[in-house]
Amino acid sequence: MAEEINYYILFANYTQGLALQELLKSEGLRARIAPTPRAVQGELSCGMSLLVLPEEIDAVRECIARHNAPHHSIVPLPCQIRPGRGRFC
Amino acid sequence: MIYLDNAATTLKKPDCVVAAVTEALCNMGNSSRGTHDSSLKSARAVFAARSSLAKLFNAPGPEQVVFTQNSTEALNMALCGLFCKGDHVITTALEHNSVLRPLYRLEDEGVISLSVVPADRQGRPDYDAFSRLIRPETRAIVCTHASNLTGNVMDLERVGAIAKSHGLLLVVDASQTAGAYPIDMKRMNISVLCFTGHKGLMGPQGTGGMCLARDVRIRPFKVGGSGVQSYSRAHPAEMPTRLEAGTLNGHGIAGLGAGVDYILEKGVDAIHAYEIALAKHFYEGVRDIPGVTVYGDFTNWNRTAVVTLNIGDYDSGAVSDALWEDFGIATRPGAHCAPLMHHALGTAEQGAVRFSFALFNTLDEADAAIAAVKELAQCD
Repeated sequence: MAEEINYYILFANYTQGLALQELLKSEGLRARIAPTPRAVQGELSCGMSLLVLPEEIDAVRECIARHNAPHHSIVPLPCQIRPGRGRFC
Repeated sequence: MIYLDNAATTLKKPDCVVAAVTEALCNMGNSSRGTHDSSLKSARAVFAARSSLAKLFNAPGPEQVVFTQNSTEALNMALCGLFCKGDHVITTALEHNSVLRPLYRLEDEGVISLSVVPADRQGRPDYDAFSRLIRPETRAIVCTHASNLTGNVMDLERVGAIAKSHGLLLVVDASQTAGAYPIDMKRMNISVLCFTGHKGLMGPQGTGGMCLARDVRIRPFKVGGSGVQSYSRAHPAEMPTRLEAGTLNGHGIAGLGAGVDYILEKGVDAIHAYEIALAKHFYEGVRDIPGVTVYGDFTNWNRTAVVTLNIGDYDSGAVSDALWEDFGIATRPGAHCAPLMHHALGTAEQGAVRFSFALFNTLDEADAAIAAVKELAQCD
């Protein structure tokens, strides 16, 4: 069985994250707010990230590029807990 | 009680503001601290308030809206964070102490030199003086949008054009106009707009902030907890976190956001038209009463809903006290934290009595205030 991947969009602050969530929502793309995973935090430790569905990550990347939306990075991470779980706002 | 001290704070708030604060007190966690529902309720309320304020003022975007406790704090952060040793700053005689005292302190500390645009006996600024006072080292014009004493409005498009043509920053104190008079940061070339939340924006006390043009950088006044970038030695550089440290007044900001949304729905022009109609009615009812002197420029109604007067040589405090004790009318006497304006008007000794109208006042209340002034003026 293929490993499930979570895509986390990281931000410098909540304002950037909430703005992007609003933008993605306006384009019909799902993104759930989640804590920034420790594994990818680095200098951006703490704060919020947006968790994006694997099947929508390309559309999300395209939306971000088209709007030049402020964000830090997009990081893929193997899903560790309850792979089937996903509650998107 | 007839409350006519809205230039100090609006007493009556829309129901939606009360509801938003109540809801926040019951359900809101800490904004930018975690991602559970309670925290996100707070983060979203704060973000929504930023977005609404950016829309109201035509600011560059929600990330350029910074929250503070009030406009005095915003002005202190802006003025102390913008200027460097040797800068020259121009301000005006219309200013409140929230502008004057930070500038005086910077001047006394040898950081800036300061020039003041004078005002005439009607409290009108000498617009030609702005250009006349500019020097090679001039960095900014810092001015109010409207005098809290006379209600005279500064022509910010004119001042903004002067600032732009000379490459100067324009820092505006919008304490008296935010929510009550149209403001367009881009059209007016405003670099930093400082506002308070509890006056025309109809939010709770303890709320305020500033909106920054995209290219303006202010040195942070405070650093500390931010909820993000915790292992970084330095406070986050990104706006608005750059200028916010510690837990925000989320409960208050939720109320402020509701107030701004209420204003956006009503329309600033409609609110101003209503308030100015009350002020005009009051002005026309008192201006010809023997012994009454009204201060300010009433040649047009591009002004705030403030009418300030004196009766004969009565102490302004005694008049305001009589209005309250005998008529139940709340006004503001004295100096109004505007010393230079009083000197220009010639009222430094007597002070003046300020009647300030807002959206929840009525024509009947204005009539009652006219009758009270008439009665007091007949007492000698």
